[in-house]
Amino acid sequence: MRMRFSQILISFLITLALLTGLEIVTSTLLPAMGWKEYRLTFNVLIILFLAIRMDSPLVPWLILGLQMIHSIFSIEGWALGTLAGLIVMMSANYLKEVLHLTTAFMTMLTVQLFQVIWYVTVTLIICLKISDFDKFGLILWSFIPGSILLSLISPVLFWMLGLIWRVPSDGGSRGVEI
Amino acid sequence: MKLINESSKTKIVNNILVAFLAIYGISQKRFDLSEPTLFHQLVTEVISPVQEGLSNSKKSLSSLWDNYLLIVNTSKENNVLKKQISRLESDLSTMEEVRKENLRLKRLLSYSDEMSHQRVMAQVVGWDSANEFKVIRLNKGRNHGIKTMAPVITDHGLVGYVYRVTDNYADVLTILDQNNRVDVMVERTRTHGIVEGVFNFKCALKYIMRNEPVEVGDKLITAGVGGIYPKGIKVGMITDITKENFGMTLSIEVIPSVDFDKLEEVLVLIPTEVAGVESLLPAVEKKI
Repeated sequence: MRMRFSQILISFLITLALLTGLEIVTSTLLPAMGWKEYRLTFNVLIILFLAIRMDSPLVPWLILGLQMIHSIFSIEGWALGTLAGLIVMMSANYLKEVLHLTTAFMTMLTVQLFQVIWYVTVTLIICLKISDFDKFGLILWSFIPGSILLSLISPVLFWMLGLIWRVPSDGGSRGVEI
Repeated sequence: MKLINESSKTKIVNNILVAFLAIYGISQKRFDLSEPTLFHQLVTEVISPVQEGLSNSKKSLSSLWDNYLLIVNTSKENNVLKKQISRLESDLSTMEEVRKENLRLKRLLSYSDEMSHQRVMAQVVGWDSANEFKVIRLNKGRNHGIKTMAPVITDHGLVGYVYRVTDNYADVLTILDQNNRVDVMVERTRTHGIVEGVFNFKCALKYIMRNEPVEVGDKLITAGVGGIYPKGIKVGMITDITKENFGMTLSIEVIPSVDFDKLEEVLVLIPTEVAGVESLLPAVEKKI
């Protein structure tokens, strides 16, 4: 199934609005309720959806756009996540024949697997930047609780994003061509 | 037969372009100081009022709960007394520092001027949305006199320094963050070390030699070295000391003086020397 450019634009704008809302929840609402130690990095989940479910030359630019919004809420900036997103997208390309997100459990498992790739990439780059590889384990460990929670809610968010991007729910790993 | 079709070519070109952009972005990225881009400035000014509104409404709700549904007067009185106690503790600590400093200065027959600070009170409206960074957003910015590198404190002690600032908001790199390194000294022994954020809202005290007589319970204060933090601000307390079988230094765990779980209001100190520090930093980097 192919999407027109206007449809892509509308879907992308809705996704940006969704990300902004979720980032506000993570950065303001949850800490205000006392949840300060771990963060739910929704940008990772949304980018994983685009990387796994979409098949388009535009995906790298969509990832970049989402990361630009994420950089408003985090000093992590846009570049780290963009590179990690690209790596995840390319990995998903190689694994597309074996990825079948037909059940909630498979979605959770796949999301957890790709989150590990994401966080290892990001942690490696951060350790390189701060020239301190002693912290590799600590930084990676800080991601684990949040990533498990994200995996658990991924079927719901993927279903919502599927509606926004008009991806058939029974579609394979590369749902929509744009 | 074409091995790569047009669509695949476009994909490869786009991937390479975005990857180059990302790598360039990473190479330019600094985790200790940042100037906001125009995009960042504009979007922050639009989005942060929502964060501020949410933060305030939560405070209003919890204050309603605390003050009306629970025992009204006890809660208020308790809060006032707690604030008074912490202010008095802070004053005592400062007085002790001044007394010790005076003694040393008398011995040395010299004196030094204390840094004068302008103080700006600000509210915490948000936290960094990434796991690996411990950054808070304040509802005051350049329009209120806040500058980058300005130290941020509460009446309990040191919070961090201003990492980046827009017209009405400022991001503060807290001492819990691994990118923030604070020059400290042990109040009792005057031993110098560096406090770094580690994990689990705790910090580590580094570069303390094995033969230094530091103990669990020792308090840490800023050493005033490095040009960012004034001397004598409470930083934390040593809670655990481990002597490894190897290495020249001790492995020390520190609990910050500030309870970051309950952080709501902070004071930003704006020393007149801030501009000087900022202008010095690039010069130091260039030399390196």
